[in-house]
Amino acid sequence: MIGIYAFLHVPLLILCGFSFNSSKFTVWEGFSVVWYEAMWNDGALAEAAWNSLVIAVASTAVATAVGTLGAYGLWKKNAKLLSGSMYLSLVTPEIITGIAMLATFQWAFRYLHLQLGMTTVILAHVTFSMAYVLLVVMARLRTADPALEEAALDLGATEWQAFRLVTLPMLKPGIAAAALLAFTVSFDDYVITALVAGVDSETLPMVLYAMARRGANPVVSAISTVIFVGLGLLIVVSERLQKA
Amino acid sequence: MRRLRALFLLPAWAFTLLLFLAPMGIIVVYSLRTKGVYGGVGGPWTIENYVRLFDPLYGVILLRSFVMAGAATVGCLVLAFPLALYISRSGTRKTLLLNLVMLPFWTSFLVRTYAWMFLLRDTGLINSVLLGMGVISEPLPLLYNDGAVVVGLIYGYLPFAVLPLYSNLERLDRALLEAAADLGAKPWEAMLHVVLPLTAPGMRAAGVLVFIPSLGAYLTPDLLGGGKSMMIGNLVQNQFTSARDWPFGSALSLALMAVVMLLLWALLRRDGEEVF
Amino acid sequence: MRRRAFAASMVGLGCGRSKQPKLNVFNWSGYVAPETVPNFEKEFGVKVRYSIYESNEEMLARVFSGNSGWDVVFPGHYIVPPMREQGLLAALDRGKLPNLKHLDPAFVRPELTDFAVPYMWNATGILFNKKLQPPPESWADLWSPRLRGKITMLDDPAEVFAAALRKLGFSLNSRNPEELRAAQREALRQKPLLRAYLNSEVRDQAVAGDVMAAQLWSTTAQQAIDAARHLGFVYPREGFPLNLDCAVILRESPRQDLAHVWINYLLRPEVSARIADSTRTATANLAAVPLLGAETRNNPTLYPSAEVMARAEWFETMTPEVQRLRDRLWTEIKSA
Repeated sequence: MIGIYAFLHVPLLILCGFSFNSSKFTVWEGFSVVWYEAMWNDGALAEAAWNSLVIAVASTAVATAVGTLGAYGLWKKNAKLLSGSMYLSLVTPEIITGIAMLATFQWAFRYLHLQLGMTTVILAHVTFSMAYVLLVVMARLRTADPALEEAALDLGATEWQAFRLVTLPMLKPGIAAAALLAFTVSFDDYVITALVAGVDSETLPMVLYAMARRGANPVVSAISTVIFVGLGLLIVVSERLQKA
Repeated sequence: MRRLRALFLLPAWAFTLLLFLAPMGIIVVYSLRTKGVYGGVGGPWTIENYVRLFDPLYGVILLRSFVMAGAATVGCLVLAFPLALYISRSGTRKTLLLNLVMLPFWTSFLVRTYAWMFLLRDTGLINSVLLGMGVISEPLPLLYNDGAVVVGLIYGYLPFAVLPLYSNLERLDRALLEAAADLGAKPWEAMLHVVLPLTAPGMRAAGVLVFIPSLGAYLTPDLLGGGKSMMIGNLVQNQFTSARDWPFGSALSLALMAVVMLLLWALLRRDGEEVF
Repeated sequence: MRRRAFAASMVGLGCGRSKQPKLNVFNWSGYVAPETVPNFEKEFGVKVRYSIYESNEEMLARVFSGNSGWDVVFPGHYIVPPMREQGLLAALDRGKLPNLKHLDPAFVRPELTDFAVPYMWNATGILFNKKLQPPPESWADLWSPRLRGKITMLDDPAEVFAAALRKLGFSLNSRNPEELRAAQREALRQKPLLRAYLNSEVRDQAVAGDVMAAQLWSTTAQQAIDAARHLGFVYPREGFPLNLDCAVILRESPRQDLAHVWINYLLRPEVSARIADSTRTATANLAAVPLLGAETRNNPTLYPSAEVMARAEWFETMTPEVQRLRDRLWTEIKSA
C-alpha cells in the first residue's frame, strides 16, 4: 500500500521541491521563494483559480443531482437511447466533444446575441461529468436489492419516500464517489474548457497549460505545490476534526 | 413507480439531447462535408472522408493505440484493486485514504505529466540516483518511449479506476468473506471466487473509465513519448489543428467511437450484464 | 421559473457592463512587457482583459465563429490571408494608426497591408551545446549519427519539412509532391537519431544538458541562452524560415476605435522597444531598434546580420492540396 501511495505522491513532491529552486530551469541553484511571490502577484492566476473553483462546484452539484436521478430512473425503466448516449459521450474524444459543443453554442448564440462565458463552460462540464456520475452510481445500484424499495411501498410509503428513505441512503457512498470524480474531471479539464471558454472564463488549467507548454515553469510548480499541500492539509485537518 | 422514475430521467434527457446528441449531429454533418480553405467546413457534400479511413496507415495507429490503452488499463486495475480493497477495509480512515488518492489529481493533468518528466529524464531523479550509486554509468533512456507513455497514462487515470472499485467493494458484505473462511477457503481463494466475481461491475466500470480516455489521449504521447509514436488521439487532434481538416477529423472520431462502442457492447454483452 | 433565472444569468454574463471601457486582447504568452498593459490602462482609462495562447490553431479555434468576444489577436503572418478570406478581420483605418510610419519597410508585406500590423518576428535555427565540437552549422548536422539520442526537432510539420526541404536544396514552401516526398524520406531517415519531437519544452532540457542540438525558434532559444552560457544558436547554412506575428482587429469587435488606439500604442517606438527588451524578441518596428538595449540590439540570434538574413525565406500560406499531402506524409513519419 505504501508503495502505491508513494507512486501517487512522490512525483508531485519532487515537483514541489523544484518550486523552491531559484533557477527558472530544472537545475538546482538554491532555495528561494521568488516563484511564490510571482504567483501571489499574478492577478490573472487568482482569477483563473477562482473561476475554476466556481465552475467545478457548480457543475459538480448539477451533474451529481442530474446523474444520480438519471441512474435511479434507469435502474429499472430501461431507456436504451439515454444509457447508450451516456456511454457514447464517454467514448467521444474530448476534442470532438469540445468542437461539437462550441459549434452548438455558437449556432444558438448567433440568434441570441450572446457570447461564450462561465455559463457555457459550466453547461459543458455538467454534460461530460454527468456520464461519469451515472456510471458510478449505476455500478452501485446494480448491487442493490430492489425488493427493499418494493417492501417500503407495500408498507405504505410513497414513491418519493421510498426513494429518499430507502434507496438514497444506500447510494450515499456511490454518490460521494461520483461527486468526487465529477469535481476532479471538472477541475482538471483543459481540452473542452479551452474550446467553450469565453473572454471572462479562463480556468486554472488553461493558464497553467499556457505557462507550462513553454517548458517547466517554476510558477506552475508553485501553484501545484499550494494546491497539493493546501488540499492535503485540509484533508488531514478535516479528518482530525471529525474524530474529535 | 414508473411516473417518478420517468420524471427523474427528465433532466438527464434534457442535457443529453441539447448538449450531447445535438452537438454530435453537427459532427455528423461536418464529417460529410469538404474541408474549408482554412479549417472549418465548406464545399460540397461527400462520403470521401469515410473512404479515406480505409487506409492501412490509420489501422496501424489504431492498433498501437489499443495496445497502449490496454496496457494502461491493466496497469490501473492491478494497482487500483488492492488499493480500493484496502481503503474499503479501513473503517474510519476511509475518507482520509480515499482523499489522499485523489489529492494528486486536483493539480492539472499537465502538471502531473511534467512531474514524470522530472523523474524520467536523463538528468532526472531516477537516473541521477542510479548514476550516483554507481549502478549505471550512462543515463538510462527512460523518457520518450512507449513505456513512459503507459506509465503516464496509468498515473493520469488511476482515480478513474479507484473510485468505482471502491464504491463497489465498500458495499461488499464482509460476512461473505468470513463465511468463505469458515468453509475452509484460503484468503486468496476467497478473493478469487467471492470478491472478484462480486466486484465485476466495478471492474468493468473502472476498466471502461480508464481505457477510453487512454485511447483518446494526445498530451501524454506528445510529452512523455516525445511525439515519436502517434496514437489515435494525436491523429484526431492534428486534423483539428495543424492539418486543418475538420471533416476528416470528424469522420475519424465517429469511426473511432463506433469501434469503441462495438467493443464495449461485445464485452458487456458477453458478461450477460444489462447495460444499454 | 428556473428557466427564466437561467436566461437572466446568461444575459448577465453576455453583457456585463461597467463604466470603464473594456478591451479584450488575446496574445501569445510572454509577448508584452510587464508594464505594457498597466501603462495603457492608466493613460487611456481603459480596462484591458489580456489572455494568452500557445499556438495559432488554439487562437483560431476560439475566434473562428465570429463571436468569441476578443477584439485584438496576434496571428502568424501566413495565417492572415486565410483569416481575411474567412471574413474574420476588420480592415484597418490607417488614419487612426499614425505610428505605422515607424515600421521597418522590410516587414510591410503586400498580403498583410490593410488588415494586419507587423508586431514581432522570429526565425528557426539550431540551438546547440557548445561542448559540441565542431559546432553544428547546417541542418545536415542534425542528421549526424554522432548525436544519436541527443537531437530534437520541433513537433510541427511546417518546421520539420522546412528543414528537410532546405537540406535538399528546395524551397521550404515547395508545392511539388516529389520534393515533399523526398523531404519525408529525409525525415524518416532522421527519426531513429532523434530523442523526441519537442517544441518550447526542449528549452529546459537544453539548459540541463539532456539535449545537445535542437531545432528551435530564435526567441525561445535566446531565453535558454540567457540562462545558460554553454548554449549557442546558429542559422543553418542551407537557409531557414522566417515568421512574423501580426496584430489584427477582429471584425466581430464592437470596439474598433479602441482596438486601433491599442495597436497604435503598441507601435510607439519606446513601447515596442520595451517589449522587445523585456521579452527578448525581435521587433518589426524600425524606429524602436535604436532605443533597444545593446544586449538585445547586438544579439546575433534575435537580430541576425544582413548576410545571414539573405538565406531566410518567409513561410507562405499553403494550398489545401499541399496541406493535405503534407499532413499525410507527416502522419506517416510520426507513426513510423
